[in-house]
Amino acid sequence: MEDHETVQEEKSGAMLLDLDHVSKIYGDLHALDDLNLSIPQGQWLAVVGSSGSGKTTLMNILGCMDTPSSGSVRLEGRTLEDLNPSQLADVRKNVIGLVFQKFYLVPHLTAIENVMVAQYYHSVVDEEQAMQALDRVGLADRARHLPSQLSGGEQQRVCVARALINDPKLILADEPTGNLDETNEKIVLDLFRQLHDQGTSLIVVTHDALVASCAQREIMLNHGVLVGEQWNDEDARRAYEEAGGRPAFSGSAGKEAQSGDVPVGFQDPTKAAKTGDGNRMEWQ
Amino acid sequence: MAGEPKRGSTTGGRSDKPAGRHAPMTNTRMFLTMLFGAIFRRRGRASMAVVASMVGAATLFCLAAVCLEVPRQMNQEMRAYGANLVVTPIQQPGQSRQGIDPAMVSHTTEMVTAKASAKHATYRYESVRVNAGSHMMAGIDADQVHQLNHHWNVDGQWPKDGSVMVGRDLADSLGLKPGRRITISYRASDNAEGATGTEGVSGAGRTGGGQSTQEGSTGRSNHVHGSATMSDDAGRPGQLHHAGNPSGQSGSQTQPVVLTARPAQADASSPAGPTMGSAPVDGSIAQDAQEKGMELRVGGIVDTGGSEDQIIYSSMHDIEALTGFKRGSDVIEYSVNTMGPNLTAIARSINDMTSMGVKAQTVTRITSGDTHTIAMLQTLFWLVSIVVLVLTFVGVGTTMASIVSQRRSEIGLRKALGATSGSIGAEFYAESAFYGLLGGLIGTVLGYIFARLLCTSVFQRSLGFNWWLALASVLLSTIISVVASIRPVRRASRIDPALVLREE
Repeated sequence: MEDHETVQEEKSGAMLLDLDHVSKIYGDLHALDDLNLSIPQGQWLAVVGSSGSGKTTLMNILGCMDTPSSGSVRLEGRTLEDLNPSQLADVRKNVIGLVFQKFYLVPHLTAIENVMVAQYYHSVVDEEQAMQALDRVGLADRARHLPSQLSGGEQQRVCVARALINDPKLILADEPTGNLDETNEKIVLDLFRQLHDQGTSLIVVTHDALVASCAQREIMLNHGVLVGEQWNDEDARRAYEEAGGRPAFSGSAGKEAQSGDVPVGFQDPTKAAKTGDGNRMEWQ
Repeated sequence: MAGEPKRGSTTGGRSDKPAGRHAPMTNTRMFLTMLFGAIFRRRGRASMAVVASMVGAATLFCLAAVCLEVPRQMNQEMRAYGANLVVTPIQQPGQSRQGIDPAMVSHTTEMVTAKASAKHATYRYESVRVNAGSHMMAGIDADQVHQLNHHWNVDGQWPKDGSVMVGRDLADSLGLKPGRRITISYRASDNAEGATGTEGVSGAGRTGGGQSTQEGSTGRSNHVHGSATMSDDAGRPGQLHHAGNPSGQSGSQTQPVVLTARPAQADASSPAGPTMGSAPVDGSIAQDAQEKGMELRVGGIVDTGGSEDQIIYSSMHDIEALTGFKRGSDVIEYSVNTMGPNLTAIARSINDMTSMGVKAQTVTRITSGDTHTIAMLQTLFWLVSIVVLVLTFVGVGTTMASIVSQRRSEIGLRKALGATSGSIGAEFYAESAFYGLLGGLIGTVLGYIFARLLCTSVFQRSLGFNWWLALASVLLSTIISVVASIRPVRRASRIDPALVLREE
């Protein structure tokens, strides 16, 4: 982490993301309950919590794929709830790179074509650049293979290549290593580390203590409520606070809720808490 | 944001370019690549959309080819059997028979061709004697008549100067063969008004055809195939009874019939000076012909199976030489390239011009059975077409709906990657247009094969490949595919990325 600090200090001045009393309610279920969270540019944040804790809901809201029931989300100074679906699509393709747990590659396109799809919707297709991205995740020689001909780890790496192809400011990763073996997990984490070093902000939703511990900062959700926050990188914390950053907090009435100005620590979840079933999603 | 330089290209990994790239990948190529992938790497249900389009196109093309082509061919064939419009002079009672003069022939022809393309032929009929027997002789322009009556079966030559063409029945009864000579004489009295010397030829000969006129016709229908045209009440035989010069065989240059004035101008009974700019032909020949007869060569025998088989055809020059005078035509036959109401309208327009002194009548050679077949075919065509269109529509629509629901995750993913509803729509419309195009192409070829088989086995007709119809068939099936997929594609473009990517 030491070598990231300089970059981090420079980047932490501006807040990339601001969540202000954000809730998502489905009927009686509070999937996300009054979350307040600021993330500066360049920060690597891990969101941990058990299944059903609201991580994916948070992910969808941050990824401009869902809108909160109440509260406000500001990304790069833009208030997302004011944007129409087409403007949200613009934000998605320009600012955000997505990595999913279940890989989500287009099954009838080859690895390189899957990477180029992101370029296609973003701006201009550049095969050379797509090949470089695949090369970066170590899959240059598998570029012409269909997803069905790739292993789970390889598919996830294609996803990472696709997420980084448009140089997003923020990469959102939902259980990126949930279905990977240790070797592939290490490759993906190394890639994240490289992206972080370049100044890309990362928000990684995970069950995995190892993955979470790579982040500078971790927050924990439980039943949609923020229950804890901890920093793995004190320098980053200091820089964050100097830039005016406040600890995350929840306005929820839940007794576990972290509602004060002082972060409540928590125990890292263990590897055993992983609930990913390891199955790749089949697209029939 | 979109315009920011890309950082990823300068970071990490190798920077050497991948080798072996040919055409540079552009957004258009990427669009086609995605389309190709969706169509050819998936298969499965895509083939159902193609099959639906194919069946639709095949049925429609087959039906259209048969139901449009067969009646068209029948119409064409009917026209090959001769005229469908006959123009005759209006004969005033008591007036002499002077025929339709060439200027009026041109005028009438202009009126007809103004509405539709047409071919025409003129006929001048005279009653002549061969071996004392009375027969009908027609002066014609061989080329015109040949053009009009492709079905006439001629053994030998068409008439030319000095050579006649004799009807089969007449040739048989007179024992004539091509190359023989025949002596024909002309008596003005035979052609005088009230003369009945044509004996059957005039009465039955030209009316025996299997046709009926459409205007006020009583419908003669003895089904003699391919007979000459004949109108019901103003037919050529009738005209023979009008010629009115009682001067009989006075011989010489009395010009009993023709040289009298036009109907409105002169009394038939009083010989008048030549009109129409015609003049008596060489008097000595005419006189000779009327007294001793004129010897002509039999150039050919015509066999039509109709009344033509009773007639002697000669060139205009010969009939003028024989009779000793020129006059207009008794009949103009038109083969007009139209039918039904359009043809009737042409006839009416001529009849409305009463000053022309001619009468036009449509002649149809279609038997009622043919008409019924055509009407039935066309009704069947429309009924089945509508059913097939609906079925194709439902088939393609359902398949596209199933493809869309199968690809919900992928659509969600594309949207998560920044695809707009419009670009998702464009991809699916292009995909279904392709299915329609492919199905349309295969279906058209299959439809043509079926139509050909059907035409050969049921209608005993050959069927050419109609490129316009094929183009229309392919286009229609493409359009139907696109239109049928509007609903499924709209549903696809409304898919919410969050719903799809949410953990299930």
